[in-house]
Amino acid sequence: WFPTCLLSNITLLREDMMSLPWDPTERDNMANKQRGEGTSVEKKAENKKGADDFNLALDSSDDEAPEEVTFEDSKARAVESLKLALDTARREKELLKEKRRKRQEFFQEQKVCLTFFSCIINISFLYKLGVHFYAVTAMWSTNLNSGLKGSYTVSTVTDRGQSDYQRQAAEDFIQSRLYGPGSCRSSNNEMLSLQNKTRADKSAAVQFVKKDWGAFKNTINEPQTML
Amino acid sequence: MGEFKVHRVRFFDYMPSAIRSMAFNSHTERLAVARADGAVEIFNFADNYFQEKVIAGRDGRSIEALCWVGCRLFSAGLDGEITEYDLENLRPRYSIEAYGGPIWTISGNSEGTLLAAGCEDGTVKMFEVLEDRIQFQRNLSRQKGRIISLSWHPSGAQIAAGMMDMIRIFDSETGHATHRLLVDRGVGASKSREVVVWSVAFLNDHTIISGDSAGKVQIWDGLTGTLIRTHLVTKWDVLVLAVSQDESSVIAGTSEGTIVQFQFISSTVGQQDKLWVRTRTFKNHSHDVRALVHTDSAVISGGMDTQLVVRPLLDKVEKNTQESALRKIAFPHRNLVSCAKKAGLLLFQFPDHLELWRLGESDRNGTPGESLPVNRKPEKLIQLKTKGEDHICCSALSPCGSWLSYATVAAVRLYRLQISSNNISIQKVSKLPRELKSVHQLCFSSDSCRLFASSSFSSVVVVALNQTDCKYLHTLKHKSGSRQPIHILSPSEDGQWLATANTDCEIHVFNLRKMKLHCSVPAYSSCPTAVSIHPTTGNLVSVHADQQIFEFSLKQKEYSEWSRQLQRQGLHPLWLQRDTPVTSISFNPNNPAHIMLHDVFMFCIIDQSLPLPEAKTKFYNQMILRSLPQPQRLRESHAFKTCKNFQHLLSVNLLEDLSLVVVERPLVDIVAQLPAPVRQKKFAT
Repeated sequence: WFPTCLLSNITLLREDMMSLPWDPTERDNMANKQRGEGTSVEKKAENKKGADDFNLALDSSDDEAPEEVTFEDSKARAVESLKLALDTARREKELLKEKRRKRQEFFQEQKVCLTFFSCIINISFLYKLGVHFYAVTAMWSTNLNSGLKGSYTVSTVTDRGQSDYQRQAAEDFIQSRLYGPGSCRSSNNEMLSLQNKTRADKSAAVQFVKKDWGAFKNTINEPQTML
Repeated sequence: MGEFKVHRVRFFDYMPSAIRSMAFNSHTERLAVARADGAVEIFNFADNYFQEKVIAGRDGRSIEALCWVGCRLFSAGLDGEITEYDLENLRPRYSIEAYGGPIWTISGNSEGTLLAAGCEDGTVKMFEVLEDRIQFQRNLSRQKGRIISLSWHPSGAQIAAGMMDMIRIFDSETGHATHRLLVDRGVGASKSREVVVWSVAFLNDHTIISGDSAGKVQIWDGLTGTLIRTHLVTKWDVLVLAVSQDESSVIAGTSEGTIVQFQFISSTVGQQDKLWVRTRTFKNHSHDVRALVHTDSAVISGGMDTQLVVRPLLDKVEKNTQESALRKIAFPHRNLVSCAKKAGLLLFQFPDHLELWRLGESDRNGTPGESLPVNRKPEKLIQLKTKGEDHICCSALSPCGSWLSYATVAAVRLYRLQISSNNISIQKVSKLPRELKSVHQLCFSSDSCRLFASSSFSSVVVVALNQTDCKYLHTLKHKSGSRQPIHILSPSEDGQWLATANTDCEIHVFNLRKMKLHCSVPAYSSCPTAVSIHPTTGNLVSVHADQQIFEFSLKQKEYSEWSRQLQRQGLHPLWLQRDTPVTSISFNPNNPAHIMLHDVFMFCIIDQSLPLPEAKTKFYNQMILRSLPQPQRLRESHAFKTCKNFQHLLSVNLLEDLSLVVVERPLVDIVAQLPAPVRQKKFAT
């Protein structure tokens, strides 16, 4: 029973966080490059084969010596490839720095948003929300108090995800075995009404008499506790 | 005698929690009861089944099993942790993770050296029971399904585990599973669903008895792994089994609310061939029975209808005595309602929140028995939810209505209230003395200037309150050496005395002007359930779990003459046969001879100026007296004037304007909010 407006805001923020670069483009490029190279190699091979087929009939002689490659040429090529590698590395570093800076700015904005949220919520609303949200905002607001600088710490309230899920599954198991389909359950009204009708001084069914049966005066808490 | 305007309060939506598990310690005769909200209650069976201690629960804690190892109490639940409880400080001592997922069951071996836990992941985990903690020893061989129930063989060499569709027998030395007993599924529609073996019992002669979700109780031979006999007991589930100490009787609790007894007897008298034969059926509950204990003389059951039922077995106890009566414990044995006598406010304690209500008003007068019209309805002023997951142990409201306090196992909270006709404000007092921790009971003084909190080692912390803050004054200690928690605090009207009572049956009175122990009431074997100091005579009146009443003079430090006379004559048998304790005592400032008491079913005024009833006089004589003419009435009256018009009573208080406030919670209103019972088809309905 998390208020949906807040929930959507926070999930929106989180989604934004997740969609923030890590730029998929660069990785895709790399992959493409690899794939492209692969295909181009294959294509070249095929072409070569074709070419070879054509060439078979024409000139090539098996005892032709390979092309001469001078030392300078190969040195130049090696230097070039090294420079290329260094360039790409430098470029990547810069891109990474850029990404980090953008992310930092984004988090600052997020923190400002949260202070805004905690200001507009008053105490009674927080009480109604229950414990977890209160604890979470308290945690994030204490981080804010340390100043809107670059450093921040992120910590989860309690890391009970796995055990909560298992506990919920176990509770659902008991619930379904005792109260699930095939459990042949009646209602308290029916049981008490039967008692009323079968005892010595018979009286009417309970729900017939009590108009406010099952209507609960507590406005906040949920009525039925199943287990 | 007395005419009172009575505020009948039925807006306390008190809802007890279902009983999930029970464990009986036969050495100390204590029954531990675990509720669905994580609370653990201790009942003293030797002291008229008095609810001695309550350890508050916690959001998210779910207890599936309880186990005594010696005098230590352990619990395990679906949160995957095994918890040991500190019964002197009424809190969990520690919790350890079993790392097997949700834990369904725990069981200790008969030597008290090992604790086995059955987990969701199919492992039975063995823990060594050390002096101050438990330590993981090893896993038995891991199985493919969840372990729902466990039972040690009395020798400790084997364990039987109830799982889905089967029962496994493990050798506890090697850890290997030696036998697999396949349990039949139900017929018809339930054939497609796995059958859950909810409970197993391993007997000394290697017989295994199992109860499952198909409604069967099956008897197996644990040596050969074969089925001996099947008893179809119910259409729904058999949820729990319990075996008597001498292994001659087994009881099975079902979803219908019935308890079926099987006894190991021969079918014809005198012959040697004994079998397990179904003998008695008890229908003690309206909803599922989820916890059972079989003592030597009684069957103790609890379940979804939240009531604890003790059914003495009539072949073990003398018939038609107090001992053989059926007992149903449906309401707590302590006060959950605080009343601000001067302000006309009520504070209701729920596990996770408090409610503050203002009483309604009626300015008309009427004749006895008449209902007066209300010109201002009662209204809920504040609903205060606890911060954190721990449930509330105790709460208190000051008589003037300007201070409110509650305590959990983690913290104490104090609030300043300002209530005027059109404005309510509540302000938390932030800096509390650090001596205020581990508090079991809270109480404000009658002038609202002091707060008393019972703390560890049976001590009382006194804190002074003024407009802005609160200051620690003193810690009151007694010299008896008992460390049991104090469950009753009662300050006198004039602020001179503070009476305290602990679960070791001790009553100590402290002098608040000198801040030291004044005297201790002579030891009595039954635990006090209510204690109060008379505002004018200065006598301490106490009522105990065995329904005895004592009056002790604080000035003379001895029992009063009236009390001695009461003891000589003895209380009326009908008074002694009541099965609910008196939870509060109050006095009428207009009439010093009156003592007002109540239990769940009646409200009584004891008039000390009238003669005490003899054993053969009619005890409940109010109706008769009303029909007699005035002069004859005085001749026939006796001291105990009881009224049974209001039920079920949670609290009775006398306000400053001499009107009575009775807080009722009819049992029907509780049943209305329980989970669904099974559908029973009865003839002609």
